[in-house]
Amino acid sequence: MIWEVFRQEKPGEYHRHVGDVHAPDREMAKLFAQIQHARRMQTNSLWVVPQSEIGEVDAEEAAFGGRTDKSYRWAMTYNDIDASFAKEVEDSEAEQREAARKRREQLESEGEV
Amino acid sequence: MSGPEEPPAAASLDRDDLTPEQQVALEELLFRLADDEFVHAERLTEWQIFAPTIESDLALANVAQDEFGHARLWYDLLQELGYSEDECIWRRSADDWTHATLVERPFADDGWGDAVVRTYLYDVAERIRLEALVDTSYAPLADRVGKALAEEEYHREHALSWLERLASDEDAHERLQAAVDDLFPHALSLWYPSERGDAIRAAGFRREPVAAMREEWLDTVVPTLEGYGLVVPEPDEVARPEVRGRDGSHTDAWFDLREAFTATHREVDFDRPARLRGEEA
Repeated sequence: MIWEVFRQEKPGEYHRHVGDVHAPDREMAKLFAQIQHARRMQTNSLWVVPQSEIGEVDAEEAAFGGRTDKSYRWAMTYNDIDASFAKEVEDSEAEQREAARKRREQLESEGEV
Repeated sequence: MSGPEEPPAAASLDRDDLTPEQQVALEELLFRLADDEFVHAERLTEWQIFAPTIESDLALANVAQDEFGHARLWYDLLQELGYSEDECIWRRSADDWTHATLVERPFADDGWGDAVVRTYLYDVAERIRLEALVDTSYAPLADRVGKALAEEEYHREHALSWLERLASDEDAHERLQAAVDDLFPHALSLWYPSERGDAIRAAGFRREPVAAMREEWLDTVVPTLEGYGLVVPEPDEVARPEVRGRDGSHTDAWFDLREAFTATHREVDFDRPARLRGEEA
């Protein structure tokens, strides 16, 4: 049986997926995960989740984010000013540009554009 | 009111405070601890790449590494008392080693049940021995006991989890029983009494007598094993091996094992062994 392992470095942070372990049950999965995924890493908490309990939807069955041009949804208000005075605005714009670039690449690779 | 016979208080003695008699007693205590850990770890590493699954392989290898680390803690204290690492390990005569015969026994190719029973018997004993050292009078030892104890928790849980699962399978149960029959008399050698036991307690190095620790161990492992439907031999009646381990007498398997783990050291002929540990303790 395969258990997906999620590791949290510090209290309050997200548990992030770090790999899996084979184990017959939850207790052994927790024992093995400690060694396999936490012995050399800073760790505050580990989750083990049966792989079969994870619901998945992938790009084959879903058109994530739709297929039409979404640039009209951008936060444009700040475009004409130097956003560097507010780091969160700068970050948010960079994030949107990056997300749009990746989406465009994906659509191009699917021949949609 | 503490009378003159009251042992020294916890963490009150340092190296320079020891009388020659106290040092001899302390060395015996440390060598027993260190040798058990080192030889146990050495045997466990034989499971690398042979354990039933990659996960169990990693878990047991990690236990072995922990035990090597504990051996390092105790051998370091011996080196502070004047021994070289060569004298502690690599060039030490085979019959000067004082580990219990339990940890030197070879594994059969299909001996995973043996590994599980052995680590269980050993790790319960190690917890009891370390807990008896928490309030040791020897300050450098007191510093290190807590670290080792914290790691022992995983070792016991690991051994117990396997024990529980193997015991529920008919075929595996037979193997566990065979391992208990084979190993239990050797495990009793963990508790071979020491001639220096009185000196060890008088100096406050350890408060518990070996006989009391042996009782606690029996009170833990016997009901647990019986709870899994295993038959445990009567400790005071079971046939014991002629060799005792603690007195330097060992089974043949030990001499082969020592040849193997010192071979590289002899061939390479280091001036002194490489030190891999980068940080203190």
